[in-house]
Amino acid sequence: METILRSQEMAEIKLLPVRHHSPACALQVRRMIEAWRPHAVLIEGPDTADSLIPAMLHSHTKAPFAVYYSYDDTEGAVSREREKYRCYYPFLDYSPELAALRAGSALGAQVAFIDLPYGDILAASREGKGMRQEGEQSNYNDDYLLSRSAYFQLLCEKTGLRSFDEFWEKYFELEGLSQDGETWFRNLLTYCRQARESTPFEQLTEEGCLAREAYMVKKILETAERLAQTRGEEAQEAGSRILAVTGGFHTPALAGRLREAGREAEYLPKKQVGAKDQGVYLMPYSMEAADALNGYASGMPFPGFYQKIWEFVQEEAEEPEPYGRAVLDMIVATGRAVRRKEGSISAYDEICACSMARGLAALRGKPQPGAYELQDAALSCFVKGEYNLATDEPMRLLRGEMTGRRVGELCGDAGEPPLLQDFRAQCRRFGLQTASTLESESTLSVFSKKRHRQISMFFHRLLFLQAPYARRVKGPNLQTGRDRNLMREVWKYKWSAQVMAALIDASVYGGSVEEAARALAGERLERAVYARDGALLLTQVMEMGLTGELSPVYGRLSGLLMSDADFYSLADALGSLGLVEQLWRLYGSDRNVRELMIVCIRRLLGLLPGMARIKDEDMARCMEAVKRLYQAVGRLEDEETLRDSYFQALQAMDRDGGIQAGVHGCIHGILYGGGRESAERILQVCRGYLTGTKDQLMKTALFFRGLFFGAKDLVFVGDAFLRMLDEFLARIDEGDFLRLLPELHMAFTYFTPAETDRIARTAAELHGGNVSAMHELKAVPEEWYLYGRRLERFALEEING
Amino acid sequence: MDARKLLRPPMEIRYREELEALKASDSGKKPENWQLSPRAVRTFILGSSAPIAYRGGSLLVEKKYFGNDALVERCIITLAGNRGLMLVGEPGTAKTMLSELLTAAISGVSTNTIQGTAGTTEDMIKYSWNYALLLAKGPGRDALVPSPLYTGMEQGILTRFEEITRTPAEVQDSLISVLSDKVLNVPELGDDGILFARPGFNVIGTANTRDKGVNEMSSALKRRFNFETVAPVREVALEKQIIVNEVRSLAAESHIDMPVDEDVAELLASTYHELREGVSSLGHRIDSPGAVMSTAEAVSVYYQTMIGGYYYGDGRMDVEELVRNLVGALSKESREDLGKLKGYFDTVVRDKASKEGGLWKPYYEARKWLK
Repeated sequence: METILRSQEMAEIKLLPVRHHSPACALQVRRMIEAWRPHAVLIEGPDTADSLIPAMLHSHTKAPFAVYYSYDDTEGAVSREREKYRCYYPFLDYSPELAALRAGSALGAQVAFIDLPYGDILAASREGKGMRQEGEQSNYNDDYLLSRSAYFQLLCEKTGLRSFDEFWEKYFELEGLSQDGETWFRNLLTYCRQARESTPFEQLTEEGCLAREAYMVKKILETAERLAQTRGEEAQEAGSRILAVTGGFHTPALAGRLREAGREAEYLPKKQVGAKDQGVYLMPYSMEAADALNGYASGMPFPGFYQKIWEFVQEEAEEPEPYGRAVLDMIVATGRAVRRKEGSISAYDEICACSMARGLAALRGKPQPGAYELQDAALSCFVKGEYNLATDEPMRLLRGEMTGRRVGELCGDAGEPPLLQDFRAQCRRFGLQTASTLESESTLSVFSKKRHRQISMFFHRLLFLQAPYARRVKGPNLQTGRDRNLMREVWKYKWSAQVMAALIDASVYGGSVEEAARALAGERLERAVYARDGALLLTQVMEMGLTGELSPVYGRLSGLLMSDADFYSLADALGSLGLVEQLWRLYGSDRNVRELMIVCIRRLLGLLPGMARIKDEDMARCMEAVKRLYQAVGRLEDEETLRDSYFQALQAMDRDGGIQAGVHGCIHGILYGGGRESAERILQVCRGYLTGTKDQLMKTALFFRGLFFGAKDLVFVGDAFLRMLDEFLARIDEGDFLRLLPELHMAFTYFTPAETDRIARTAAELHGGNVSAMHELKAVPEEWYLYGRRLERFALEEING
Repeated sequence: MDARKLLRPPMEIRYREELEALKASDSGKKPENWQLSPRAVRTFILGSSAPIAYRGGSLLVEKKYFGNDALVERCIITLAGNRGLMLVGEPGTAKTMLSELLTAAISGVSTNTIQGTAGTTEDMIKYSWNYALLLAKGPGRDALVPSPLYTGMEQGILTRFEEITRTPAEVQDSLISVLSDKVLNVPELGDDGILFARPGFNVIGTANTRDKGVNEMSSALKRRFNFETVAPVREVALEKQIIVNEVRSLAAESHIDMPVDEDVAELLASTYHELREGVSSLGHRIDSPGAVMSTAEAVSVYYQTMIGGYYYGDGRMDVEELVRNLVGALSKESREDLGKLKGYFDTVVRDKASKEGGLWKPYYEARKWLK
């Protein structure tokens, strides 16, 4: 803790260093506020969130919740790309910042945030640094500043502890509960100073730390001046007391700045970014999301565990061993959870685990067992056998208990982003419930009723925004191409806090559901690398009924089609485009994609001759693509030249000596189907394989598979093909036949059962038999075989004498 | 016993000085019949950060077990409790060494051991008879031949059970009642036939999960043990350190006066590490061999090469000899593994030879021995 006296403003300023999500820290902060009774409590956090403080302190608001900050870089203040940014600032009951807000407001002190607004922090940071680090989810917390230097790695090694979090638990949490505030904050500050000193100056600049600290100092001094004015004479006599709670990493620097005030201006941003582009909302949060180990490192892990500690230290009769009790609770809860999953953990196992946890704590010199002893105890006593995926269930269940399941709630007047308001308005308009959390079902005749189509569009948009409100249980799926025959969609929908969280999350994209969906679609398209993804997105855009202002989308997709050099990706794109082309009127879309299709076909035709020598495993995809292309050029009625170049490409492939046999068969099938080739020519090619070398002979099966895929009706033109197949089968021995059997199976799957019957009949006739006689063949009895074996042995013995 | 005359002295003799020093300076609380306090046991195995006083001078306790400190702590606490300790894991992960260190530190002896095999019978686990005495004097304590388990209970010391999963499941199960009741009944001795275990008694088992021919453990027996899974070392630097330490002490025991070449140890550690993990430090994907790729195997490959160089060579490590020994170590299970080793040389070693140079070059040139 740093105490600074400012005679100019007649204020005494205390700076408390904290670590986010730390029960001991929250407890010490609360005690300090209650003892010192400051006039103002200032918290690190973008000051745009000041308006949310009443809602955060409302009795109906339950932690965990998060402040959601968004910034739409329309001015290009952050980067030339003018992207959209967002981050979260999660609060748990035991977050020192929340404890400070609660304790401060209970005393009637002024409470406020003092950090730079989110957009300005971004503008002050270099790309890829600080809050502009690439990550799954960005977080306002900057605890990583405390644990990344080599100094702390050495410290962990020296103290024999596995990680910074274990180090922290041992020296600050477990020991912090019994320490007085002065000592505790002094220790923490020593620690933080080390972290600060081992951080290079350039890093501080790049991460925007210096700008933020300058701003915080400015806010602290402004508060002091305002207090001096409002308190007037009172302040003249006794002075104002200001408490600033900030991340421990910043405290030493803030103290330095406050002592030599006047220099903060040199680091302050010259110009602040526009307020209209900054969004700030409160959203319910979950412990799972707050758990540091779930993806990004900030704050302490195991919120469920530490929530228990916090609750125990709150109890009136002071709990002498909150950690011991929490460990016991967790062991019992895990045991119960394992038993519910048909595991076998006995009460004795739990007893052993408890004594193990205590023993380990004693061995490691900790006053009570903590989270790490709890994990070790469960690993030793609950996991039976080698620790691997099959036996780690107790550990997974324990992890779940330690993470906690609590989801926060917000009070009614927490303020909502326009996107969420639009969502509610649409729900009202369509009569969809948002009050109950029971699942409802809705059947929509999307192609006949306009209103139903609108509801479906609304659901599709929400789905696209990843808001878990509605899910489609039945209906045509344009992405997979399944169930296209269905005329109705069946949806199930239900309201939950996650829907709210997801919509707040998406609110950076726009003020209405439609606008957000369109902006997100644009962004996705911008990021797409393959034409496949772009065209798939177009099917979604059609389902969502996004119209107007789509020209850039089409332009971008056309660019993707031009630049993509992957044949299969383009073929998939052609499939999606074909769907859109067929259905655009039905879905009420305002634009045809014929032009895009032609671009795609041209590209594919350019690549097609190069696809002759593919690997066997790509055969099915390639044949599918060739056929899809055939259908597409056939559908475009007035594009005769395209059709011609298609067949020319196929003929060019045919001339390639190294062509893959399956593709070879397929293009001959298609050339025959398109009337460009006679059956005799195909027979000739087929004979080429049959009379070729052994390797080529073996490829006949693949050729047949391709041929049947392309034009199965060839088989029924006379019996020449069946004779050919028959000859092939006669030429190979049994071993080869068995090896080719899977391929032959595949070749005949293109026929219907009636057709295979017909083929069988013809084949049987070739050998002079008839099918019914074949059906009546009886199995050879086992005794006959045994007799045969005896006979053979007898003969052998006779011959050998 | 003179440690110099033993092929492989037990831990309590090898580290006698350290144990004595720790005992003299040990002020921690001890479970009954333990020679050292849990904290001193931890220091013995994981090493001391500062020298401790010993016979007027001082002595630094060296770190003997590398890899997972928390695991060692859990083992110690388990042994102080009511349950046995079962160390499981792949072969060559130093399970036996850890169990020896634990028994030497806790009970002062690491030799009270049942060596489990497929032929182990129940009387080898409990007790058997000296038939001459049995016939002469009848059943009595004199005629009874105590098993290591019996001795452990009688004296209040730890009993090690090596390779417990090699013994048939029904024989393993004879441990169940002893472990839960801490009583062994010898009906032949009549009223004197009940042996109550003294404090300090416990069992450390080791079991192999990867080898062929291991038996399952019954869940009743599993319940009486706390399991610790000993994983192979995951860091190349640590693995190299282990190879260097082990080879150095093996060489000292065999009076081979030859320094350990750290570069070769690193080469070997990288090879074993990369083959085991299936990915190289340069990012190649590699087929992992089916044979056991443990650090102990790497130590033995190094040591063999060292002996070869000492007696037949010029007293230096010969990379070609190293590759030949590597082939010998890897082609135990199947010929396929040799193909995988070849693949490793043709990709990873080739690229490292051209990018990093150094020892990787002669290593790559020695690939002709991969046959």
